[in-house]
Order: sequence, then structure tokens, then C-alpha cells
Amino acid sequence: MLVVKDASKRYGDFTALQQINLEFNTGLYGLLAPNGAGKTTLIKMLATLITPSEGEIQYNGKNILEMDEQYRELLGFLPQQFGYYKNFSPKQYMLYLAALKGIGKKEALHKINELLDKVALSDVVNKKMKKFSGGMIQRVGIAQALLNDPKILILDEPTAGLDPKERARFRHLLTELARDRLVIISTHIVSDIESIANEVIMIKNKQLLYKDSVEEICATLNGNVFETTIDFESLKAFRKKFVLLSEKQEYGKIIVRFIHKGVPEVEWISVPPQLEDVFLYEYRDEIEGEV
Amino acid sequence: MRMLWNEVKKIFMWKMMLLLLFINSILYFLLIEFHIDSFPNGSGLYSYNVGVEMVDKYGATMDEEEFIDFKKMYEAKVEETNRYLQSREDFVAEGIDTYDKFTAYDWWNPSQEARALRDDVFLGNKIDLFWELQERHGLIEFHNRRKRVPDVLSDKERQRFEQLIEEEKFGVYTDLVIQNFKSFIANVGVAILFSVVLVISSTIIKDRSRGLLLLQYTSKKGRNLFKTKLLAGYIATFIIITSLLAVYFSVYSLNRTSMFFKVRVNTFIANESWFDPTFFQFIMICVAAIYLIGFIFATLSMVFSSRVPNMVSLIGIQIPFVVGFLIFGLNPLLPNMILIWTPKWLAPMSYGLMILLSALIVIFLWKREKKMDILQ
Repeated sequence: MLVVKDASKRYGDFTALQQINLEFNTGLYGLLAPNGAGKTTLIKMLATLITPSEGEIQYNGKNILEMDEQYRELLGFLPQQFGYYKNFSPKQYMLYLAALKGIGKKEALHKINELLDKVALSDVVNKKMKKFSGGMIQRVGIAQALLNDPKILILDEPTAGLDPKERARFRHLLTELARDRLVIISTHIVSDIESIANEVIMIKNKQLLYKDSVEEICATLNGNVFETTIDFESLKAFRKKFVLLSEKQEYGKIIVRFIHKGVPEVEWISVPPQLEDVFLYEYRDEIEGEV
Repeated sequence: MRMLWNEVKKIFMWKMMLLLLFINSILYFLLIEFHIDSFPNGSGLYSYNVGVEMVDKYGATMDEEEFIDFKKMYEAKVEETNRYLQSREDFVAEGIDTYDKFTAYDWWNPSQEARALRDDVFLGNKIDLFWELQERHGLIEFHNRRKRVPDVLSDKERQRFEQLIEEEKFGVYTDLVIQNFKSFIANVGVAILFSVVLVISSTIIKDRSRGLLLLQYTSKKGRNLFKTKLLAGYIATFIIITSLLAVYFSVYSLNRTSMFFKVRVNTFIANESWFDPTFFQFIMICVAAIYLIGFIFATLSMVFSSRVPNMVSLIGIQIPFVVGFLIFGLNPLLPNMILIWTPKWLAPMSYGLMILLSALIVIFLWKREKKMDILQ
């Protein structure tokens, strides 16, 4: 079990995270927050790249920094952006990383072929990575994170650069992996985790906002999400008055989805809240409308 | 070992090796070639030949009896020259029928004929005897002044001069060979210094600027990889220095100075030194100094490589250190490190201090790397 205990991170006067407490068990956790909210800081603390200014992170009761390589041996990590040697092929690159992970060459070669096949790169195993698209590089990144068959898999924005088909394939892969290990995915794309995460973690104002199942988080807005059809002319005033979640044009009118916490009007249709609704609501910027 | 091998391979990329070859070719032609191709240069050939003859005949040292023999040789050569001059009617007509008269002639105000004759023996027909006698005469003159101590000396320098005189360690052999080696090794030092800085500078910064640390430091090996990178840097430095020394000393062997290897450094003219190794031992000391300089600058390069943000600043920040060393440090710490005109303490103190500082910096860097937040 991975536990974040009262962890804070400060850079001089700037506080990136404050008093974070979390517990992770086997399963898939989605770390959902807009860019700049502190997701990467938390991820990097979990990956031992950043030391908490206060508090600590424990794995099975031991401080992960003190566990040193014992902890990193269990870890698979995909950073938001990662470096590679342009003249290396995915095979050479993964062999290099396998050596860093303490995997023997023979075992690594077998594993590399298997993983590159899993991320649909088996036909470019020996091609130089400088010719790869962003999506292909990202798939190499995903494959390398799985090289050591990690017990803890941490992925920071893993779907960046992937096309919809690749995203779907990736979600299947994650569901499969999360059966017997801890998988933490940091993302600001709700659809990446909505259907697969056992729990979603949301950070706001440098502090933990939610750590719950998608259903429970959505339930916080039960009875407050509505849809109605309005004229184009009314849209501007509507936007000012309510927190709009989405707008869709249909037959010359606009179907708006919005949040309202008071008494609803008769023509409004109450709809079940989605995770995206909570995300948009919690991280709304300068919305002047009433709630 | 696999990791170390990987890191060493990363340093020796073929592009870097081509650049190393290019830089060394330029530096060879600019700095080193002259000391190989033009050795011995001009009248130096006669100096060299006389020196070789002396070593062959008298060995690594010359005692008084041997010097008397050397003087006899000189006199025999003078006789030979006399016979040559007497065989030349033009010299006899000019009244120069002996070598003594030739040397005593007022060459500041020569007659047109005399000047023409002198030019003929030195430049036109290039009579070896005249050149050779000048060299032999010069060596005898040095020997005659062997017990003179220069006026302006520090107490320690004076003591050393007096000690050398007391131990009868006089400069008797031509300084041509050791001066040539000193010029050669100083320039080889420059080439090797540039090569080490060029290759080692990028060791750490490349992975850092490419964002590779994120994957490297979260692997099982983790931050210990930094130590492997440092070790790989030192191994690469050793390989570069050894390879370049092998190449440059192969070229130096063309100068054919091995017959002087057993001659002690104080036995070369105007080369009074604090210690008295043989010429070969002195070469080995210089080689050791080059390794030290190389390792110290490799450390400096790796320090900067792990701190500065990009290659441009990495090059920029190292220029003052390299140029400063070349201007102020190279000669006193390499070719002249044991010469009496360099303070005796300077080389050991400087090297000791630089080694200590390098070790402290490496320890500091490792401690910092172990705790540093990796933000990129």
C-alpha cells in the first residue's frame, strides 16, 4: 500500500502542494486536475524525483526515499515528457533502460519484443526514433514503463499525442494492468479515466479536493445539472447567470448543459452528472454566474 | 559493468570522434608539426650530431678526463679545418689560413672578399666543419663557465646551484634535445587539454538537457547513475589521453632522441633543475602531469556539465579556465615544473591542491545530486 502522509511541497515562497493525504491500493487511480494544479508535483514525489518539503510517502509502512532502489525496483514511470537518444531504435533505447532497471539482456530482449508488440510498434523495432511521430514516441514511453513488470505504475499525461484508436487500446491495456497492481494516471482529459478508474483524485488550491469513485464524485452534483434549449440571443445572458458545462447547436437553437443549485425552472431537464461536469464546475474560471 | 559500458559508449559517439580527429589534426599542424619536422633545425643539426657523438662515446655523464678527450677532438677538427683553409688559395690570399685566424678576424668590418669567403663556407658550399666547430666551441665555452653562479638568485636557487656544482652535475650536453621535448610536450598538453574538455563536457549535460534524468533516476539504478557517469567520464579521459599520447609519442619517436634517455636533466646545458631525473624519467613525469591535468579538467568539465543550462554556456564558462591555465599554468606545471626558475613547491602544491579540490567538488556534486529535485 502506498500512502502519502501530510505531504507538502514548497519552492521558496511558492507552495505547489499542501498537506496532501492519500492512500493507494491495487487498482487504477486517476489524478484529475487542470494544468498547473500540482499533478506533476505529486506524481514526481511518488516517483522519488522530488522530495516533499514536509510529510512523507510510505510504501508498506516504509519511507520510499529510504527504501531507495527497493522502491524504484517496483516502479514503472512515464513522465509527461521524456528524453531519448534520437539515433537509438526503440529496441536499443529499451535495452539501455532495461540495464538501468537491472534486467538482464536476454530477458530484456524477450520483454522488449513483447511490449513493443503490445503498443503496436513491432514493425519499427529497429528504426531510429528520430523518425517517429509524437504518438509513436509516447508508445515507446508506455512500453518502457512496463519493462520491469512494475507493481506501481505511474503515468503522467500518458495519452498526450495518441490518436483516439490508440487511446482506446491504451485504456484496455491499463484496465488489464490494474488487475494486480497499482496504476496511477495523471491527466486533465476526463475521458481517459472516467470509464476505467477505480478512484479519481482531484486537487484544488494545492489541496486534495476529492478521492473517491467516479459515481461518488458525480453524486456531489446530483440534482444540480440541467439541460435546456434556449435562443442564440439569450446565450450571453445565460452564460453570465449560470455555470455552463456545454453548448450544442440543434435546429437553430442551443442546448445548454449547466449547473444550478437552487429551485429549477419548469422547462429545465435534470440530467445525471458526469465526471466532466464536476471537473468543469470545480475548476471553473472567473464564472460570474450564480450557482 | 553493463551500465558503465553504456555510458562510455555514449561518450565515444562517432560524431564526437570525428570532431576530436579534426581538432587534433588542426592542433597538430598548428602547434606540434614544427617540433617534429624541423628537428634538428638549421645549425641545430650539428649540435644534435655532436650531442649524439658525445653520448655514444662518453655515456650519460662526462667526467673531466672525458672532457679533455672532447677538447682533443675539437683540436683535431681545428687541425682538419686548418688543412682545408690552407688548401683554399682564396683564403690564403686573404691571410686566413688557420681556424684561429678565421675566428679572430674582425667580422664586424670584413673585406668584401672575406665576407664572400665566409658566406661560401657557411652557406654556399656549406662546409660541415665550420658549423660543427662552432657547436663544439660553444660546448667547451659552457664547460669553462660551468662553476659560475648567476648573480640574481633567491637563496634556495643559489643553494641548488651550489649543490649541483658540488656534486659536479654540470650542463655539458646540448640543450637542443630537451628544449625540443619541452616545446613538444607543452603543445601536446594543449592538444590533450582541448580534447578532454571537448569530449567530456557533454557527458552529463546531454542527458540532463534532453530530460533523460526522469527515466534514469526513477529506474532501479536511480541516482547512482550519476556516479557511473562520472566514472565513465574518467575512463573516457584515460582512453583519450592514452590514445593521443600514443599517437603523439609515435610521432615524437621520429626525432630520434632515445640515445639521450639516460642523460640526467641537469646534464643538459641551461637546464638546472630541483631534481635530477634522467631524460626518460622526465618524459614519464611529464606524461604523469598530462594525465593529472587531463583528469582535473575532466572533473571541471563534468562539474560545469552538471550545473549549466546548455552547451553554449558550458563552452563559455570553461574558456576562462582553459585559457587561464594555458597562459599561467601550462609551462610552470608541465615542461618547466622541475626547472630551477620555477619555485620548487609550485608543481607539487598546485597539483595537490587541484586534486584535493577536484575530490571535494565530486563529493559535493554527488551529495547534491542525491537530494536534488528533478524538475525537468
